[in-house]
Amino acid sequence: MKTLPPQSDILRSALLPALLLTVVLPGCSKEDDSLPDPPSPTPGTGITLRLEHHADGVPLQFDTVLYTTASGHSYSVSHLEYYISGIRLLTADTGDVEPMIPGPFLINARHEASFDLGALPPGDHTGVELRLGLTPDLNLTGALPNTIENVNMAWPDGMGGGYHFMKFEGHFMNAGTPNGYAIHLGRNEILPTCLAPDDLHLNGSAQTLLLRFNLNEVFRSPHTYDLVSGSYSMGDMVLMGLLRDNCADAFTAAMEP
Amino acid sequence: MKSAVPTVQAAALVLLCLTACRRDVPEEPASGAHTTPFILDLPANFPVPIIPASNPLTEEGIALGRRLYYDTLLSRNGPFEGFACASCHHQATSFTTPTAGTNVLAHVNLAWGTNFLWNGKVCGTLEDVMRFEVEEFFQVDMAELNAHPDYPQLFQEAFGIDNITSDHVVKALAQWFRRMVSSNSRLDRHLRGELLLTPEEMNGAMIFLSEVGDCFHCHPLPLMTDNGFHNIGLASTFGGFDVGRFAITGAPMDMGAFKTPTLRNIALTAPYMHDGRFQTLEELVEFYNSGVQHSASLDPLMTKPGPSLTLGLTPQDKANLVSFLHTLTDEAFLTDPALGSPF
Repeated sequence: MKTLPPQSDILRSALLPALLLTVVLPGCSKEDDSLPDPPSPTPGTGITLRLEHHADGVPLQFDTVLYTTASGHSYSVSHLEYYISGIRLLTADTGDVEPMIPGPFLINARHEASFDLGALPPGDHTGVELRLGLTPDLNLTGALPNTIENVNMAWPDGMGGGYHFMKFEGHFMNAGTPNGYAIHLGRNEILPTCLAPDDLHLNGSAQTLLLRFNLNEVFRSPHTYDLVSGSYSMGDMVLMGLLRDNCADAFTAAMEP
Repeated sequence: MKSAVPTVQAAALVLLCLTACRRDVPEEPASGAHTTPFILDLPANFPVPIIPASNPLTEEGIALGRRLYYDTLLSRNGPFEGFACASCHHQATSFTTPTAGTNVLAHVNLAWGTNFLWNGKVCGTLEDVMRFEVEEFFQVDMAELNAHPDYPQLFQEAFGIDNITSDHVVKALAQWFRRMVSSNSRLDRHLRGELLLTPEEMNGAMIFLSEVGDCFHCHPLPLMTDNGFHNIGLASTFGGFDVGRFAITGAPMDMGAFKTPTLRNIALTAPYMHDGRFQTLEELVEFYNSGVQHSASLDPLMTKPGPSLTLGLTPQDKANLVSFLHTLTDEAFLTDPALGSPF
């Protein structure tokens, strides 16, 4: 049994922020109902961002126990939905550049995840850095357009507000019995910074920036994540901290013609 | 709700301006129709509803859909002869009615719906499910409609057509369903700063909107449904209608999964669950607290920290949660004359 906070704390932490936001929101213009504008066109030709999902090279196939965590539990995936934002293309000389692809992008892995980034300048890059979730400026209740998809990703104000960074759900086998798991990430302190240290050459023509999310990395390192003790992460700062660390190397990147 | 522009001339001007400014301008209903656009007046925290460009809301289309909804003519010569939509969907109970067997889903806020009927037999837009209702469920007799003393004129005014087809009946009903919006419950008004909930209701809100009760994942604000399908653990084995979405997809993980119903006006929509097995909100809350049963397809969201599937709510917690659910009653929606019978 969990203990509820005192009533006054509930008032402050749970619903008053929502109340304030709903007071503020009507003042926003309807132009706020669209995702942030893409970066201004720069010389070059259109780049498409595409996301793929796999587990150590095995393509994601939903609702089938095909994969195995580092702790030895076979698992399936029933739902995978997450934001990425703050994408930077890294360069060898300066280490990084300003965010060229601010996002955010909401990816539901059951659907094609492809986004038009517009034009990016030609050049060589040493990798991609991204946030698995929403940068703090976006992770505020009501900050994103009130689409059905964004509304369903809301993180309750009483638990910190903003949005889920990731919902990663499915079943795993434990002693021969299927059990559910629901790995949910949220809150600014837990925002994973992911680095894909892969050489990328933008040649000025139409290309695809392919980001590949290896789901097994979520369970692998630096922490061996145990689904038995970590089947439900939401609101557990320790579990979410382990997952944040593990997600740091979950993506690889490549440019495709 | 309010009409946007009361005159035909102003409507035409608006349409002209929209055509000049936007690429996704809604299609004009049909040549010959002089309709008045209708704008849903929605709170800022509501998502933008799904309105196909091919079926924009108009005063005439909504009025026609409303009349059809309440008219038993819709079922003339069909398998449900003598019934109108409203025969089983009463406004006073959020457009549902208590029944034995398969529970009647409420008609509320379906403007945001993408999955319809308990097992998702129809997915897509309101037009898709209205096509099912018109052509399969009621099997509407178009000859009856075309020979009616009033309907040909009403369809002409709404769509500019001389021959009524099922497409037009579908569009009119879909417009009417989009008009059936609940957005003025006590919780809505609290969120807009118009009133404060009681301490008991606030405690219930905290349970609902946290991992204590973990209701919000499937019933997020403000629509109180995620539009998804979930096996919430009503049983450990399944047969008959209880197989749920599995009957449609054949996917093992859909066994026992049903559409998430909205909780709006839930205090008035008993009995609960797809089969109406729970008669009271207290029974409903107790199920989530201690009655969830394990199965291979149990939704992962029903997983809790630790091996138990129980919530461990105290009697006071459960009472507070029920109090909170009562704040979802929208008296304005239940008594709005514009949503009542036109006859």
